[in-house]
Amino acid sequence: METNTEMKLKDFESALKSLEEIVSQLEGGDLALDRALELFEEGVKISRFCNAKLEEAERKVEMLTRGGDGRLTETPFTAEDAGEA
Amino acid sequence: MDLFAERKIYTVSELTAEIKRTLEDRYREIWVQGEISNFKHHSSGHMYFTLKDDQAQVKAACFRNSNRYLKFQPEDGLEVLIRGRISLYEPRGDYQILADYMMPVGLGSLQLAFEQLKEKLRREGLFDAVRKRSLPLLPRKIGIVTSPTGAAICDMLRILKRRNASLHVLIYPAKVQGPGAAEEIAAGVRYFNTRNDVDVVILGRGGGSMEDLWAFNEEIVARVIFKSRIPVISAVGHEVDFTIADFVADLRAPTPSAAAEMVSGAREDLRATVQSLRGRLAQAMRLQIEKRRSSLERLSRNRAFEVAPNKVRELQQRFDEATLRMTQAAMRFVTRVRHGERVLQTRLARVDLNQVIARKSNVLARLEQSLASDMRARLKAERSRLELAVGRMDALSPLAILERGYAICRDPQGTILKDATAVSRGEKVDVRLTRGTIGCLVESVEDTSGPSVASVSAPSENEVSLQGADRLARD
Repeated sequence: METNTEMKLKDFESALKSLEEIVSQLEGGDLALDRALELFEEGVKISRFCNAKLEEAERKVEMLTRGGDGRLTETPFTAEDAGEA
Repeated sequence: MDLFAERKIYTVSELTAEIKRTLEDRYREIWVQGEISNFKHHSSGHMYFTLKDDQAQVKAACFRNSNRYLKFQPEDGLEVLIRGRISLYEPRGDYQILADYMMPVGLGSLQLAFEQLKEKLRREGLFDAVRKRSLPLLPRKIGIVTSPTGAAICDMLRILKRRNASLHVLIYPAKVQGPGAAEEIAAGVRYFNTRNDVDVVILGRGGGSMEDLWAFNEEIVARVIFKSRIPVISAVGHEVDFTIADFVADLRAPTPSAAAEMVSGAREDLRATVQSLRGRLAQAMRLQIEKRRSSLERLSRNRAFEVAPNKVRELQQRFDEATLRMTQAAMRFVTRVRHGERVLQTRLARVDLNQVIARKSNVLARLEQSLASDMRARLKAERSRLELAVGRMDALSPLAILERGYAICRDPQGTILKDATAVSRGEKVDVRLTRGTIGCLVESVEDTSGPSVASVSAPSENEVSLQGADRLARD
């Protein structure tokens, strides 16, 4: 059960997919109470993961510039750098 | 003899040399139009072919130094305009046109090169729809290969800003036109593929002439897009401009701005999707509980439970309380989460976004943590009470007892018989089995103390002996 959830929480897409599956299973009907509760709890866990992913906010624009050693490094970039009036 | 002495007699070499001089002087720079046939591209790099129209033909060659800059691939049947000079090859006495420039007639040479490469790559399967990947629902880091001083990057950044996109943008600066541009663009795509944190790559360039956009029609760019592990959006030129890159890419954006829209669009929709799934989850759980409650109700209305009305009523009440609490817990879960989000959303308007997001996710996490463990404990307790109740009801059911082979014996008034002496010989009794009832006549009555034994016979030949009927009494 635990490893199952961990596996499903690898990325947003598959998490959303398993959440949809859980909800339709739970809506589907004939389940043992035990199983229904299990699904409910897993659904809560996954929906929490989805929200966390949705809130992950990193707003950044960087340009790659080649340093003296030939390696690319990231430096902040703004539209003004692009010479926009 | 005199006749000959006065005349100039050429050797073959002299004649050929003179013709060669004449031709080469006379036709130093000419333009000829005709159709290519017998085209051969020799391993030395030189091209040999025949140029013809419907009445004549002339041999032609285009040496490596001249043909290496051709954008298109000459081929049989192609009508071309050639600039060159006439040359005569003395060992064979052949004259030919040496072409230093060729262009297709009708289509421009770029257009032709475009069509030729497009056809070649299409045959190789580089444009196949089946291999196109879809964009990730929620891209976080996007790599843009473009000129850092071009209009394309400005357009894209403006859109991302307007859409408030939570994205980390990495710009790989590349020349997007002129010599070396294709190589730089290809290097950008390859570079992003060496990282493992980039979700989408965009190739961007503003509009321009076919020459301006040419880098995106080069084979090297097409191949590197094809090999890319990361989905590639081609966002070159205006809507009407198509490049080879557009065909190979996983997605073609009509303009750079449109590409920015594509990668920033989905977040709000997804938020709504997740929210509605959470609502459905809680609602479905509520229905699961509700269903159990109503099936218990049905069970308790069964006539078989008449024997223990109080017991059942009490159990049902207990069940009702349990399910009510479970339902409330499920609903509270939703309400509290929604409320929490609403409160935070109103604050969102005036507070620094990052702080709010951090706080919001903290609160949500705490809220849900406590709710989940709260729910879990509560549900567990209620569940075991519920199971106990259902189990006991099963044990109580008279139907279950009949199922085990016991019977209920009633006198003609329907009163359940618990004492053999309540009947006498010759009286009628009804014996209820798990399936069906037998009408019987009492044959004898024995013993009044200890377990009673009545011997009865059915009115027919069927003899039915019934023992321990009193065990049917409720426990």
